[in-house]
Amino acid sequence: MALKGLDIFKLSPKKNCKECGSPTCMAFCMKVAQGAVSIDKCPYFSDDAKAMLNEQTAPPMKTITVGEHKLGGETVLFRHEKTLVNKNLYAVCVCTECEDADKKLADLQKVDYERIGERMYVEFVFVRNKGNDADKYVELVKKAAATGRSLVLECWDVDCAKAALAVAGKDTILDGATPDNWEAMNALATEAGVALGVWAENISDLYDTVKKLEAAGNKNLVLDVTGKTAKETLANAVLVRRTAIKDGDRSFGYPSIVNVAKLAKGDMYLQTAYASMFTEKYASIIVMENMTYAQALPLYGLRQNIYTDPQKPMKVEAKIYPLNGADENSPCALTVDFALTYFLVSGEMERSNQPVNLIITDASGMSVLTAWAAGKLSSSTIKKTFEELDIENKIKNRTLIIPGKVAVMKGEIQEKLPNWNVVVGPAEAVQLPKYLKDKEYEAAAKAAAAENAAKAAAGAAVEVKELSFEELLETKVPKIEIVDMGVKYKGHNPESKTFVTIGERIHCIAPSIRKAMDERDPKPILERAAQQIAAGATYLDVNIGPAEKDGPERMMWAVKLLQENFNNVPLALDTANMKAIEAGIKVYNRTNGKPIVNSADAGSRIGYIDLAAANDAICIALCSADGIAKDNVEREMHCDNMLERGLSLGMTSDDLWFDPLFLVVKGMQDKQMEVLEAIKMFSDKGLKSTGGLSNNSNGAPKHVRPIMDSALVAMCMMQGLTSAIVNPNDLRLMETIKSCDIFKNHVLYSDSYLEL
Amino acid sequence: MSFVPKTAAYSGKINAVTLGTGDKAIVIGGQNVLPFYTFDAPIENAPKIGVEISDAADSWTAPGLVDFYAGCTTMADRAKKAEAMPGADFICLNFESADPNGANRSVADCVADAKAVADAVSMPIVIMGCKNMEKDGELFAKISEALQGKNIAVMSARNEDYKTVGASVALAYGQKVGAETADDINLAKQLNIMLKGLSIAPENIVMNIGTAAVGYGYEYVASTLDRVRLAALAQSDADLQMPIIAPVSIDTWSVKESVASEEDAPEWGNQEERAIGMEVSTAAANLTGGADAVIMRHPVAIATIKKFIDELV
Repeated sequence: MALKGLDIFKLSPKKNCKECGSPTCMAFCMKVAQGAVSIDKCPYFSDDAKAMLNEQTAPPMKTITVGEHKLGGETVLFRHEKTLVNKNLYAVCVCTECEDADKKLADLQKVDYERIGERMYVEFVFVRNKGNDADKYVELVKKAAATGRSLVLECWDVDCAKAALAVAGKDTILDGATPDNWEAMNALATEAGVALGVWAENISDLYDTVKKLEAAGNKNLVLDVTGKTAKETLANAVLVRRTAIKDGDRSFGYPSIVNVAKLAKGDMYLQTAYASMFTEKYASIIVMENMTYAQALPLYGLRQNIYTDPQKPMKVEAKIYPLNGADENSPCALTVDFALTYFLVSGEMERSNQPVNLIITDASGMSVLTAWAAGKLSSSTIKKTFEELDIENKIKNRTLIIPGKVAVMKGEIQEKLPNWNVVVGPAEAVQLPKYLKDKEYEAAAKAAAAENAAKAAAGAAVEVKELSFEELLETKVPKIEIVDMGVKYKGHNPESKTFVTIGERIHCIAPSIRKAMDERDPKPILERAAQQIAAGATYLDVNIGPAEKDGPERMMWAVKLLQENFNNVPLALDTANMKAIEAGIKVYNRTNGKPIVNSADAGSRIGYIDLAAANDAICIALCSADGIAKDNVEREMHCDNMLERGLSLGMTSDDLWFDPLFLVVKGMQDKQMEVLEAIKMFSDKGLKSTGGLSNNSNGAPKHVRPIMDSALVAMCMMQGLTSAIVNPNDLRLMETIKSCDIFKNHVLYSDSYLEL
Repeated sequence: MSFVPKTAAYSGKINAVTLGTGDKAIVIGGQNVLPFYTFDAPIENAPKIGVEISDAADSWTAPGLVDFYAGCTTMADRAKKAEAMPGADFICLNFESADPNGANRSVADCVADAKAVADAVSMPIVIMGCKNMEKDGELFAKISEALQGKNIAVMSARNEDYKTVGASVALAYGQKVGAETADDINLAKQLNIMLKGLSIAPENIVMNIGTAAVGYGYEYVASTLDRVRLAALAQSDADLQMPIIAPVSIDTWSVKESVASEEDAPEWGNQEERAIGMEVSTAAANLTGGADAVIMRHPVAIATIKKFIDELV
């Protein structure tokens, strides 16, 4: 059903004129395929091509725009299938016969607050006409319009509707078409340029009326699915959405209005219950009798949850949150912007009743440990937050509590924030109330202060001059000792088509490796390298951790250590510190293949492509921006963008290895085939690919993982995967790879092929 | 051509599990369609509502709760009142005070309470523990023994303690056991497999797949419910066809919206109304997603959800 970007590209003018706002026709077509932009943005597509594409690329459900609001446009029935796009909006109902209309209009404006970066308020006023007194209705519509909110005019009388539209403004839905009056209402709505709401006694009549309106050329519709009972209304709402999305019948592919004020008149709590249900089950606008905080707090909270993109973590704003009446003299505590972390930590802090300034720092919505490992929570990002929020001037207290899980960062943070007394807090949020009540941080803060003072006295403030790579190599990199590990790297021909395994075992997340890196102790590193080489690894990945402080000398040491000991084994250099990668490449020997930069993405790490290009290295290009790509259209768009960038910088396409991002089966089982299809897509474009394949089996029992990994690698190789970052000590996996290389005719068969 | 709706009844079916005995016994589960999808097929058994009685109910301050339980001093007193609450289908005893890190009530006291309640009421009984696995293990075994023949359900057999809880509750004393996981569909399935592996019949297992108040990470609950139900019905996955009991009130009554006083949050208005709103919304969302029973606290919230269910089934 959905068209591929490339199919659209075939019909495009291929002028690369940029008038549409996209850099190239290709990029534009990708966006069109994704539904992110309308084909009409391009002035040069022929009308025939446009009409054809519009029909084929139209999503199953239309997006209707009313002023600044977007309704509908959904592509799935359940949020876990992909994501829900346009949150349901709320309306409060006033009618020509209610006496308290003024009060209701005033009250609905009182609910207006922010929750996790989102404004929560009543977006619409639902103005209901009873009878046929046009003057009375016009008066009410005027008052409703004066609130500045968008309007839904429920009015089945043509004359009243006409009069109301004259005063209502553009941000309006005329909810007035019925099987009897649709022609007249259609004329009114079309003339006024507003969306038309359609209602009928039953769903079958509703369908027929929509068909007639569509035939008359109006597709700017909203369906009022409110029935006589809640039961009937749910049936309507579900059937309409299911027919559009599952059966692909676009005549029901419109947003829907559900009026719970009608279904539970006078019962605030029952309206809350119904509104909760219709938030999950397919209303685009929910009409309430009133909106009090007792209704808004749960309903807007639920809506925010349901409409969160399952693949994008919910983030809170990076700022100072003063808790329990904290002021400038209260201690500070720091954590990440992942919404669940924030709720957990702030909740426990509130329970302590102790004033604390909770500082939320930008970590791309990741949890503390994940953010640290990904380099999103580092002393530099923290320093940036402190500068941007001007915390040093806003807060006088100098105690800064950091999460216990990243106790290792204490030294680095202390160095970057010398005026603060950095203290390691508890590892779990539940320990916070006791920790804060007992003021456990005080002693530690004192100790930190004393240490800082001692440092200052010792004249630690001497400016350290930044050394060049050569100077660093000279002065900071220990001499490499050659140790006989009983293993020889047997060499690698970069032209070979055989599958490239990148051994993942030298990684800073392993405590022994972290310690060895810190102490420049060769033994643990050489041991793991020897094991992997003996097991047949082609490349070795070298992850030195975030390495903010001494990244360059660390990487130079690691590269020299491994290459000098193991016949110039080729390496993938893996760290969030770009300078370190550059330094590593400076001392890298290319006999057995170019160095690999691990890794770029299409978001904040796009610069890694530039780094690889400037240093004639291979670059792993992760097809995601910030967060997992939501589908293969997006993966392809990232792939194309990174490819374009690499090529424009003079790289060859063989030096970009695209990573689809392997997803964990426990949690993202339904996305596995998509990953496999992405690999095929890279392969079809003639591109190389790689990735952290064993991520698929994360959390599975130890004895199951090799089986899952082997099965997946075989499927991936069938799809054209050319490399993977794996644990070479997994014999089953390595044997599977060797066997697949036989079937793919990359290696000539012999009875002993497994031993080679 | 006019519109003919396609129906989507499934071959897979949720297990029908009976709780309690006699006239007041209830059946949860049994349907082969998504929640309230009566247009696809009739709903076999309407969802049920359990009334939470905590052994720490003395600390409840909402006026509606205080009034409703006025004069009650014991769990049995409260249970008797709760049994008469409009909308109530079963009683849920929450032994949160047994927590060794909290009030540390003795197992003997808790068992005596449970026994007194069982003597006083004829509605089915569901037991919740204190989340301390060691204490819960003993508590669940002793209560199951004392209430043998009452066909109660004991929530919380977890990945860590399912063997002891499953063996005592279900195998030794013939009660229903609740498999508890936290928003993890793979673990939910695995735990059911392991309970069945202990020779517990599927009809004796219910699930709690994780809870949260709306606004507080409820998206994980919502998607787990959706996925569990679709696996059970569309894929006929027998290891996920156990009915779901969602303890709603324990989460909703402890979030800021419910506990912030009117002095602390004057713009938010009446505190009790907010707490009821959170409870109603969370219960309705759970029922819409696939819970076959909800455990709730406030009489007004319970009456509302009762009406909600009646209107939709």
